[in-house]
Amino acid sequence: MEKYEKLEKVGEGTYGKVYKAKDKITGQLVALKKTRLEMDEEGVPPTALREVSLLQLLSQTIYIVRLLCVEHVDNKNGKPLLYLVFEYLDTDLKKFVDTYRRGPNPRPVPPSVIQSFMFQLCKGVAHCHSHGVLHRDLKPQNLLVDKDKGILKIADLGLGRAFTVPLKSYTHEIVTLWYRAPEVLLGSTHYSTGVDMWSVGCIFAEMARRQALFPGDSELQQLLHIFRLLGTPSEEQWPGVSALRDWHEYPQWKPQNLARAVPSLEADGVDLLTKMLQYDPANRISAKEALEHPYFDSLDKSQF
Amino acid sequence: MEYELENPLTGFEEHQSDTIPSLFSSESDHMPSMSYILSSKTRDLDISARRQAIPMIFQFSCNPDPFIPYLAVNYLDRFISRQELPHGKPWMIKLLCISCLSLAAKMKQNDFSLTDDIQRKEGFIFDTETIQRMELLILGALKWRMRSITPFSFIYYFLSLVKLKDPSLRQALKNRATEIIFTSQHEIKLLEFKPSIIAASALISASQELLPLQFPSFRAAISSCIYVNKEKLLDCWNVMNSTVMNSYESILDMIISLSTNNTPVNVLDLHFSTTTTTSQSAAATAAIVTERDIKRRKISDLRYCNDKSFQLTQIQQC
Repeated sequence: MEKYEKLEKVGEGTYGKVYKAKDKITGQLVALKKTRLEMDEEGVPPTALREVSLLQLLSQTIYIVRLLCVEHVDNKNGKPLLYLVFEYLDTDLKKFVDTYRRGPNPRPVPPSVIQSFMFQLCKGVAHCHSHGVLHRDLKPQNLLVDKDKGILKIADLGLGRAFTVPLKSYTHEIVTLWYRAPEVLLGSTHYSTGVDMWSVGCIFAEMARRQALFPGDSELQQLLHIFRLLGTPSEEQWPGVSALRDWHEYPQWKPQNLARAVPSLEADGVDLLTKMLQYDPANRISAKEALEHPYFDSLDKSQF
Repeated sequence: MEYELENPLTGFEEHQSDTIPSLFSSESDHMPSMSYILSSKTRDLDISARRQAIPMIFQFSCNPDPFIPYLAVNYLDRFISRQELPHGKPWMIKLLCISCLSLAAKMKQNDFSLTDDIQRKEGFIFDTETIQRMELLILGALKWRMRSITPFSFIYYFLSLVKLKDPSLRQALKNRATEIIFTSQHEIKLLEFKPSIIAASALISASQELLPLQFPSFRAAISSCIYVNKEKLLDCWNVMNSTVMNSYESILDMIISLSTNNTPVNVLDLHFSTTTTTSQSAAATAAIVTERDIKRRKISDLRYCNDKSFQLTQIQQC
């Protein structure tokens, strides 16, 4: 770890503090993430081993933040602690969108940027899903952006037990619910790739609106935000919904026109968004299918 | 988060075809370094370390899962290709073997622990902290790329290229190719070939043994695959064939040495017939071995003499 000079704290990741640091020899900027993975009597914990090696395999694509190496330092008790060293990108999608919303010159995010970022996001999600990995916590803060090159990469992959998405993060920061799929909010335990596609839909809308689509501050409020816009789900629309663990009787709202929530988005974009925000996870578009959607027809894909 | 050697990318079933290009593009990350392969032809030291280590791995592995020692040898090869072992420290090789096995067992969600008894019998005792440090050293050298892409990862893909209607034939081919891959792991000359080429060669060899009539079309289908370099495939197949033949011979040699009731004269009269069994037992697949072959073995390839214990323990594994 002496290899790196910590420069500043850049965030509170789900698993702890994240530092911007510099490789003292090469000058390369990196993001250092301390994990909670401590050695036990059995040496390197098997979960850490399997998960870090999966992360290593996943980060082969340019759409996922690259894991450069894993370092270990001894803690006070002489036990090695693991640090993950990632490539550093200068900003994240939340900060990026904020610069268009606030500041001296508020303006919409250019449609071509939204289109390109959505394509890269779907590429990254498709890559994760094809490797059997759900992200489970996709949100603008977890999407790192190189604004000069127009690159977006997925970070903070939540892999499994050692990395489970907690309700409260390590640093007691409340974990946001805004991007959480309705089946997760309703207590479904058998969720799949659809949970990530719901989040992708919410992020899509947020780029177009420059503010969150469903900004709930509790699980119930989060559901009500969703129901008010998309209508209260019915058994016909989503078979089995009323049998989910946390289902209750809710006020009956009728679906609103989604296009009105994202006025700046063109018709193909609204169609793609509609397919991402389907209540029944089985009807939700997959990342791979999304890449083939007409919304991306006008994109120059040769750059990817 | 499970890890299976036959499907290292843990894909959802519907996505399996999507990961094929990733498998081919990442396989080189899971091989010994190229400079090692080139220099191993001249560096006797590493070869001898490897030859000592492989039997040890099979000896220490008390787990019935044959993929665990296979994976451990993959880690060992990659480690010694990147990190020179200190001279004159035989305990170092033991520690390395134990740590590779421990990591492989963890990846396969299996328990691995050497009881103190075994350690004492073997004349060494490493405390857990020492093994931990070694594990971290290996992880660092291998860059935590522990989901090795091995020849087993490509078997399903290559099998899908050939049209075999009978599922039991597919299974027989897969089983035989799997055996060939296990048997030929100790051959240092195979280290230079990519896992996919080894898988393709093993399947071609298996088809030659089991389906001689379909063999030409089988070979054509695999060698025309866009991911396969035909020349490398041919080279690899040649090395593999001689390795497999040699291993039959050393198995035979072992059977001979084990059969105390037979006089040497009787043994030389023994004939083994080709068998198409799909059993996991390597011994059961001992193929045509003639008196001429036995003689040939005796005058050549002293290399394999050292590997007898490896063969023996491998068979006991199965």
